[in-house]
Amino acid sequence: MIRRTLKLAWFKRNRYALTVVAIALSVAFIVSTLLLTTSIADVGEPLRSAYDDVDVVVTGPEVAGGDGPVQAISAPVPAAVVADLTAAGRIAVGLADPYAQVLTSDGQAGGQDQAAANVAEPWLGDSPLNGFAIVEGAAPEVVGEAVMDVSTADAASLAVGSTIRFVTDSGVQEARLVGLATFGGSDNDPYTSTLLLAPEHPIFTTAEGFQRVLVADATVADVAAMVSGMEVESGADWIQAEQDALNDFLGFFSTFLTVFAVVAVVVGMVIVTNTFTVSLSQRTQELALLRLVGTTRRQLLSQVVLEAVLLGTIGTAIGLVLGLAGVSVLGWFLDVLGLVIERSNTISATALVVGVIVGLGVTVVASVRPAWKSTEVAPIEALRSSEADLTDGGTRRRMLTVGVLAIGLATLAWGIAQSDILFTGVAIGAIFLALYLGADSLVRIAARLTRPLLGRAGPTGTIASRNLEKNAGRTAAAASALMIGIALIGFFTLMAATIGQFIAGDAGEALEADLVVQGIGSQPEPALNDDVLEQVGSVDGVEIVVPLYQTSVSPVGDVEFERAGPGGGGGLGVALTDVDALAQAYAFVLNAGSLDDIAGSSVAIDQATADGFGRSIGDTLAVTSLAGPAELEVVAIIETSLPGSPQPAIIGDLSLRTTLGYDDPATAAYIVGSVLPGDVNEAIDLPTVEVVSRTDYIDGLSSNLDTILALVYALLAVAVLVALIGIANTVSLAISERVGEIAATRAAGASSRQIFWSLLAEFGLLAIVGIVSGLVFAWIAAASLFNALSGGQIGTPEVDVLTALLIVAAGLSGALIASWFPARSAATTDILDVLRAD
Amino acid sequence: MSDQTDQRNAPPATSSERTVARLVNATKRFGTGDAAVTALNDATIEFRKGEFTAVMGPSGSGKSTLMYCQSGLDRLTSGHAYIGDVDVSTLSDQELSVMRRSTLGFIFQSFHLVPALTSRENITLPVDLNANAEVDEAFLNELAVVLGIEHRLENLPSQLSGGQRQRVAVARAMIPRPDVIFADEPTGALDSKTSGELLAYLRTAVDDLGQTIVMVTHDAVAASHCDRVVYVQDGVLVDEGRNPTVDDVLGKIRELS
Repeated sequence: MIRRTLKLAWFKRNRYALTVVAIALSVAFIVSTLLLTTSIADVGEPLRSAYDDVDVVVTGPEVAGGDGPVQAISAPVPAAVVADLTAAGRIAVGLADPYAQVLTSDGQAGGQDQAAANVAEPWLGDSPLNGFAIVEGAAPEVVGEAVMDVSTADAASLAVGSTIRFVTDSGVQEARLVGLATFGGSDNDPYTSTLLLAPEHPIFTTAEGFQRVLVADATVADVAAMVSGMEVESGADWIQAEQDALNDFLGFFSTFLTVFAVVAVVVGMVIVTNTFTVSLSQRTQELALLRLVGTTRRQLLSQVVLEAVLLGTIGTAIGLVLGLAGVSVLGWFLDVLGLVIERSNTISATALVVGVIVGLGVTVVASVRPAWKSTEVAPIEALRSSEADLTDGGTRRRMLTVGVLAIGLATLAWGIAQSDILFTGVAIGAIFLALYLGADSLVRIAARLTRPLLGRAGPTGTIASRNLEKNAGRTAAAASALMIGIALIGFFTLMAATIGQFIAGDAGEALEADLVVQGIGSQPEPALNDDVLEQVGSVDGVEIVVPLYQTSVSPVGDVEFERAGPGGGGGLGVALTDVDALAQAYAFVLNAGSLDDIAGSSVAIDQATADGFGRSIGDTLAVTSLAGPAELEVVAIIETSLPGSPQPAIIGDLSLRTTLGYDDPATAAYIVGSVLPGDVNEAIDLPTVEVVSRTDYIDGLSSNLDTILALVYALLAVAVLVALIGIANTVSLAISERVGEIAATRAAGASSRQIFWSLLAEFGLLAIVGIVSGLVFAWIAAASLFNALSGGQIGTPEVDVLTALLIVAAGLSGALIASWFPARSAATTDILDVLRAD
Repeated sequence: MSDQTDQRNAPPATSSERTVARLVNATKRFGTGDAAVTALNDATIEFRKGEFTAVMGPSGSGKSTLMYCQSGLDRLTSGHAYIGDVDVSTLSDQELSVMRRSTLGFIFQSFHLVPALTSRENITLPVDLNANAEVDEAFLNELAVVLGIEHRLENLPSQLSGGQRQRVAVARAMIPRPDVIFADEPTGALDSKTSGELLAYLRTAVDDLGQTIVMVTHDAVAASHCDRVVYVQDGVLVDEGRNPTVDDVLGKIRELS
């Protein structure tokens, strides 16, 4: 039997070639994403190994922030804590993590990467609390000497012995690089660029307390007894928490990749099922003949499944190879996009095994059902009609579709009304299922609706429309596959647009400043010290400089409110500025109160915050900050706040800095005046600060999103490619069963061009059904999900018509290209080849 | 059929006026080298207007190839195939398509109707393919009535019997009022009663409408409906006769094989 199967499969190799490609791509996709996910470095490992002697970690109480990009703000641990612990015979060291960014040899902002934290740490020498080990050169002995981690030195092209420059809150400083260090056996502290300086360095001595205090030779209980009002946890717990925090971010990324892998598999499965269904329909006679001569159903089934195993094996083997190559491509793509994900080079066997299971499993599972159905046909019946319809079709399926759709819509209505994520999720799932089940009905409807239009192109148009309707049961799967890909693209586009809206707010219209000064990087450090502000102000043409100091506070009180949008979880963002000057640079839409009243503890809040906390003019908002509790009086309510991630909920006067305990430099500054960005840039001697024009600033607000979106698109492109292969496959199969009809039409006088265009029209229409239903589904899913996730704060996402048209055009072009060659070869087939076969 | 004898026996006027299709020194070879097969070997033949010709011969004699080359479906290796005064070998695919939909009609053994189209749409297909042409509804109705398919026009081919399908195919071949209809074993898939009816109809089309028909067949009964029968063997025209009877044809075939 194996030999016969091999022979039959070889006979149909052209038909199966595309199926193998589809399997291979699906496997490649899942293997490469899994390999990437598993290669994402375990950040806990270096931490554990570096800090294996740390028994206890003391941190200050958390006062604000926490989730997303807003860094949690903890109150500092007073220096006295370290002194007390040391006096009690414990080994303790306080780390303040002061900002220190290394400049490259040519004076650019260096450091490991944009997203990494840039800090200075004291060299702890032989202390068991020292996580670093010198691997080249020597330790920093005096203030003028520095050591840095291997990764940072590599990235900045700095060699031991050279003089380095680094930026701190107080300006640019110099030191001699005397050595390189590793952290817990790794080239760097995860996601951090560290400059190790002598403990006597002023950068440490000016610190008023520490981010954390590491303690050795102690237990949690006895340290807790010695300090009060602090968070005390074991070293292991602290490492776990750090690891979890990093994994939260990476987890989001891994989930992303996993979702795409699943999508690729689903699309692949749809296509494999489709291929088997159609090819078995065409082979009904062959199968019936085998039944007629005494083949049992079981034998027939094994033959078809064996064929599937064969295809699955070939496809999987190719897929594994492609997947191994693909992970490098993905990694390269991440680097190009500047997404810092630390990776190891290990190849996970699990990923390969999963790839094999998926590739073989999907193919076999996809083949069993059509195979079993095909063997159900009675031999004599099969000999009478040339082919059997193996698709589900029929009333039962339609009723199921309508039922699922009704459940989906009802659940959706409830989910929207209640802003309930569970109901919304179930509803979206149900609607998707209904779209998948009802794809054939959609195709039929589209065929009927477009018949008058296609009919005007003559009988070939009518034939295209009729065939589309007649074969909907078989070809709809190709439309479904395309629908999945397009739905995801549409969904992420809407998501990015909505998130972009949340970050940028109405900055596009409201920002009147001519230039913006900001720190370089995706997570800019508060880098605009007073020197910088002075330098900016002294440039000819600069009329007004509006510094912005951004921090966060935690609300206190009975109202629980989480702001929608990125980073909206934990605290409330606060922007402190010269409000009078800001009025010249930013035109807020004032809903109530007066901006002139902002002073001291009197602040403006934005409408979302006012609604969320139920505050109006004259009310107070209780918060805790680095300096302890504070009461803020609402004197103005603005429609939309300044841009940011999240947008600052509170706008206050500069004098509020003291009240909230914020003593870092400014994070950004708006400039009003007729002056070029370059001229201002020249006046600033900090390379970590950049000056951009108004338009560049607004464009830049969403650049991080664009980066992630580019990655998402690249991943989804694979799913769409698999779907397009499905279209090509469907077209070839449909055409191969229609050669007789094409020959008849040609004999009646249709030119090959007419045949070609009618085939393109037919499959273009099929693709349009998939594309449009995908886009509609994306919109429904996005609108309802955003509504549920934001508790009703986000309205329906705005549809950019141009983007929608672009997606339609791209999907359609892809489908037409996929149909082009099979249609072309069918249209130019020699009529006689078919007639002679009679 | 004696009442039709006069008309059928009327001698052709001049060859140029009455010739609607002809092959001149037609040679068709398939393959190359040792595997080459000569299907037509320097064949020359004319088909005259208003004449019902049967092309007969044993399997592999080249009779189908003769028809395919004459109608432009296939290209000659050497020689010429004319439809009217046009050498089909000089036509592009587009021009051949236009010729098929306006000047020629085809009837095949296995009908070759378009499954997606109704009988009416199948019949009008050649006319509809011409953007500027209008279907002659009166002629269509007349054809449908004569062929007995007037109540089947809105049915799909799958809802028709074999005989009905073939009559739809005949109507499709007739509708553009072609100069010549090529029929390739048109009764091959039909039972004797249905084929008798079909042949009677083809005969009527020739007699009443002056239609020219070239029919490839191996059925002596079918050939007996024709004005002229041409015998092909090994790619060469070996004989021909007029107003054949079944016995004439059977005798000739026995002689050839």
